[in-house]
Amino acid sequence: MGEKNEGTSETRLHYNLNQSIRNYMTRISFYFFLLAAIMLVSLQPLKAGAQDALRIDIFGPGEERINVFIAPPRDLRSEVLFDPKLGSRIYDGLQNNLNLLPFLMQVEPGHILGGPDVEGVRGRDIDFRKFNLSRVDLLLTIGLEQQARGPGSVEIRAFEVFDQRMILGRAYELQDMDQVPLMLRRFCAELMEYLTGNGDFFRSRLAFERKQNGNKDIWAVTPQGTDLTRLTDLRGITLSPAWSPDGSRIAFTLMRDNRHHLGLWDLEKGEAEAFSLPGNTVISPAFSPEGRLALSLDPMGRPDIYWLDEVYGVDEAIMEHWAIDVSPSFDASGTKMAFASGRLGNPHIFVHDFETGRVQRVSYEGRYNTNPSISPEGDFVAFTRQTPDGHRIFVVDLETGNEKQISFGPGNDEDPAFAPDGYFVAYSSNRSGEYRLYLTTRNGDGSREIPTGEGNAKAPAWGMERDF
Amino acid sequence: MKNRTVVLLALVLGLIMFAGTGCGKRVVDAPADPAAEELTEEERARLAEERLQEEMRRQALEERRLQEERMERERDALDAEARIQEAMDEITANRIHFAFDSYELDADARSKLQKISEHLNRFDELSLVIEGHTDERGTAEYNLALGERRARAAYEFLVLLGVSSDRLQIISYGEENPLVDESNESAWAQNRRAEFKVLD
Repeated sequence: MGEKNEGTSETRLHYNLNQSIRNYMTRISFYFFLLAAIMLVSLQPLKAGAQDALRIDIFGPGEERINVFIAPPRDLRSEVLFDPKLGSRIYDGLQNNLNLLPFLMQVEPGHILGGPDVEGVRGRDIDFRKFNLSRVDLLLTIGLEQQARGPGSVEIRAFEVFDQRMILGRAYELQDMDQVPLMLRRFCAELMEYLTGNGDFFRSRLAFERKQNGNKDIWAVTPQGTDLTRLTDLRGITLSPAWSPDGSRIAFTLMRDNRHHLGLWDLEKGEAEAFSLPGNTVISPAFSPEGRLALSLDPMGRPDIYWLDEVYGVDEAIMEHWAIDVSPSFDASGTKMAFASGRLGNPHIFVHDFETGRVQRVSYEGRYNTNPSISPEGDFVAFTRQTPDGHRIFVVDLETGNEKQISFGPGNDEDPAFAPDGYFVAYSSNRSGEYRLYLTTRNGDGSREIPTGEGNAKAPAWGMERDF
Repeated sequence: MKNRTVVLLALVLGLIMFAGTGCGKRVVDAPADPAAEELTEEERARLAEERLQEEMRRQALEERRLQEERMERERDALDAEARIQEAMDEITANRIHFAFDSYELDADARSKLQKISEHLNRFDELSLVIEGHTDERGTAEYNLALGERRARAAYEFLVLLGVSSDRLQIISYGEENPLVDESNESAWAQNRRAEFKVLD
């Protein structure tokens, strides 16, 4: 995975991809026509009761599983691949992406009775029976039409095996091998959208703090571990990045010259600015869904939570108390704010309801509960609890008060952050000796490391990719 | 007998007074110049030489005195600098420590702050940054707030001891700058601290 020193690569890639699509419009229209035709044909239900196949309720108990198989890539015009490197890059990337979805189980090629190959990438060329017998629910095919210059075009299709029905087909024109990860994220976003109703996992990006040479800066990476990019170079300590809802800004704490500052990184400018605020502390900035910035300041001599105005001046207090109040986190409707407070002597998690003005205590166990992240639906709060074995991530159901531990160490698991889909949770852990970012779900399905390179990586924050 | 002595004494006194007035008049009338005119050239040169030497001796003494004063001033200045440096070193060395998740000043912390306030009250020119630090066991954001509480506890105590608040600045580093970069009880205890840095 290449590391880039600027944040524009994604936009450029997007532009190139768009341009190329325009350039090859005629051909693409043909493909889409073809795919649409296949889709229309395949939409005819072959068997009764097929409509509700292959849907996953990611908000359910998380025990449903779909068996998926990716057929080896095929050239659209010949029996052999023109450039096997491209084929394996797409195949591996797709496997890697689908591996991140806990409800998909990948079937080993050796387990396909009669061999893993398909005669073609279209439904009419596929012997669905052998995949059905091998308990494959979802089959993906990759078709390549390579050219001497550049990688050429790629078609990816997904079929429901039982119904022999294509559920998704997309064609892409590639200018460059480096566009493969973005192409796969786009395809997987649509596939996940089809299966679960929400594909934002593949449309989002994580900002985080990374320590190098004694300094901490803000970096970004996709949750799939691609496109690792450095965003700031401030020669100080930057903490707690938070993405604005439109993906255009990242707010963070900047410690420099014996002072705390509010740092703001701007996507358009590609650089960060520092703002001074009254008091001595600038802690835990967070954007509301309307794009208002909230954070913990101490102009009254104690860390309280305030709104800032549009020019980053202090607007009004949200939460004033003699004790510490930090770490605001808003749900998608903007009616609830979770936060951590020391008002009971030890830090605990509370939820403030803006409509009723009520403050609800939500953590009761333990003596040190911090780092709240409320789900976009406002129904769950993920937080860090100190246990005798170190910090662990817990999720509490605000309706029932039931708690569930979703991370299991070793070491310390901290900084949980609900993804925009309300399903995935990113967090940091020093289980490997150094802090790294990990992905799990609110059901606590496994934990996968997100590669971020050398140096402590902490405080993941989700943001939506702009113009994805 | 006694009466005769008194009369005699009065007589003597009267005589002395008469003689005195007579003599005075004579001295005033007597001219002094003829005596000076009698000095030879040689004698005049000798006197001039003596006066010159006297003057040079006086100047040399004056020089030495000035030199000594200058050295003394320099010694004083060095002493003052050394005293400020000593005060600064002691301020920096006086870290105060806290219990886990606490910002309460214990007796030891209070006595160290007392010492620091004495230095600050002696040297008006010193301004401080009070740094609040935590151990790594909490979580980053809450620790930033806790570091602020610790620095502020020290700040408020110093203000109580008469240090002007505009000479004190607060910053919390939370868990970002540990004193001992290890994960054990002793390192944690040393890392839960407030430190005092003299501003340039």
